[in-house]
Amino acid sequence: MTTCPRCDSTEAQMVAESPVKGAWTVYSCPVCFYTWRSTEDEKFTDPAKYEPAFKVRQEDIPNATVVPAIAQRIK
Amino acid sequence: MAYKDFRDFLDTLKKEGQILTIEDEVMPEPDLGSAGRAINNVSDKSPALLFTNIHGYNNAKVAMNVIGSWPNHALMMGLPKNTPVKEQFFEFARRWDNYPVPVERMDSAPFQEVVVNEDVNLFDILPLFRLNQYDGGFYIDKACVISRDPSDPDNFGKQNVGIYRIQVKGKDSLGIQPVPQHDIAIHFRLAEERGENLPVALAIGCEPVITTMAGAPIGYDQSEYEMAGAIQGEPYKVFTLPGTNLDVPWGAEVILEGEILAGVREFEGPFGEFTGHYSGGRRMPEIRIKRVYHRKNPIFEHLYIGMPWTETDYMVGVNTCVPIYQQLKEAFPNEIVAVNAMYTHGLVAIVSTKKRYGGFAKAVGMRTLTTPHGLGYCKLVIVVDETVDPFNLPQVMWALSTKMHPAHDVIILPDMSVMPLDPGANPPGITHKMILDATTPVAPETRGHYSQPLDSPVATEKWEKIFQDLLKN
Ligand SMILES: [Zn+2]
Repeated sequence: MTTCPRCDSTEAQMVAESPVKGAWTVYSCPVCFYTWRSTEDEKFTDPAKYEPAFKVRQEDIPNATVVPAIAQRIK
Repeated sequence: MAYKDFRDFLDTLKKEGQILTIEDEVMPEPDLGSAGRAINNVSDKSPALLFTNIHGYNNAKVAMNVIGSWPNHALMMGLPKNTPVKEQFFEFARRWDNYPVPVERMDSAPFQEVVVNEDVNLFDILPLFRLNQYDGGFYIDKACVISRDPSDPDNFGKQNVGIYRIQVKGKDSLGIQPVPQHDIAIHFRLAEERGENLPVALAIGCEPVITTMAGAPIGYDQSEYEMAGAIQGEPYKVFTLPGTNLDVPWGAEVILEGEILAGVREFEGPFGEFTGHYSGGRRMPEIRIKRVYHRKNPIFEHLYIGMPWTETDYMVGVNTCVPIYQQLKEAFPNEIVAVNAMYTHGLVAIVSTKKRYGGFAKAVGMRTLTTPHGLGYCKLVIVVDETVDPFNLPQVMWALSTKMHPAHDVIILPDMSVMPLDPGANPPGITHKMILDATTPVAPETRGHYSQPLDSPVATEKWEKIFQDLLKN
């Protein structure tokens, strides 16, 4: 578990390691679905340095616009 | 002539000097996205890119900008690479009229070489990477997505092949953006109304004709495969994915098989879009992948998307102009000459037309707004005379600067429909639209001093030929 640079959740997990051993690791956040690689600039990997305009607040996620609307079940 | 598969087209690009192979090691970020952006900045004749040495991967290959210039678009159609855009447009329109060309069904496909039936991890199978800095993740943005109409599953024409933005959100899960205007959104709504998941297949690394058709606004019950057959001049090869009713492009490098989950919407985005702006984050449907087929050492095809011009604009340029042209000709068969709707997927369109009488050009502008594509795009329609080449922007500027009178030729229509990604729309999906009539007034409109148009000197055409021959090599 690691901290998501975008939404600051602490539930991000490793999803892949480089085929060439030790080159990089890919992490993914199950809360905001941000995905990043360990070799990216710290602007994209460090929660304190992630661009504020693109930060995601966890409490806003359930209220995000739904596209397309969920269709009503018709029997 | 048809390209057998993606590799066949890459071979042609190589022969024609239209692909650059980059063997030096590159970083997945920021090199791949940056190179994809840069190649369109330097030229409109630029080559495709093939990266063969990506840090951390053993045998990964990433291809970008495959249709990302006019020469590559011409080669897609099997034309000489120096074919002018206007000629590509007329040839595309001519072949379009040969629709439908029935498909050729194949018994097996090259992508059956490797099958992954369990523990799918897309991060291991594909060299995924971030394209634009604040994209919410790694995207698959040039896959042909195939689905069937659940209320009419045997209808081949209603089977859809489309390109949608797809975020890889987990080892076997994807987010997809089917906006309501898209055919796949109709399929998904019908499935969701039944409480069923919608089976889908994603084909990555296809020859360029089906990719071009997947990005074209054709009718709901028209088959992209039968249109691809018309454009390439021979039947399109498809293969029915075992255990499904989905027909996929036979030559694909990679096939992802899965379902869009009914009733599920999860956070997706933002993604840098063709409008030159990020899309914002929204809750969108999820795809669960259960099986992957691929060739050994598959080539991952990707495209850069962002502020025009990018590969996206070359890919959807001519294939957006042609349906609008065909639909305008249905209304005005003797007048419409050509349509250039290549600016930000047709948010700006230029129509060249003859006139029957005063006010006619404005009616052509109105009709452009009410074509199927115009409903979501065509925020600005510029109408020019039949003597003005709409693909020649200096000529269009000349028409605007000399033929248009702001008191008579500017029509603003309030609160019309537009696709919600237009960053100027307010609220999203609504915008004013404008028609600029830059045609020469004809009776009973007699304003202006247009009676003495300037002709070229009489031997100009002869001299054009002379110079073309002299300058050929
Ligand atoms: Zn997060």
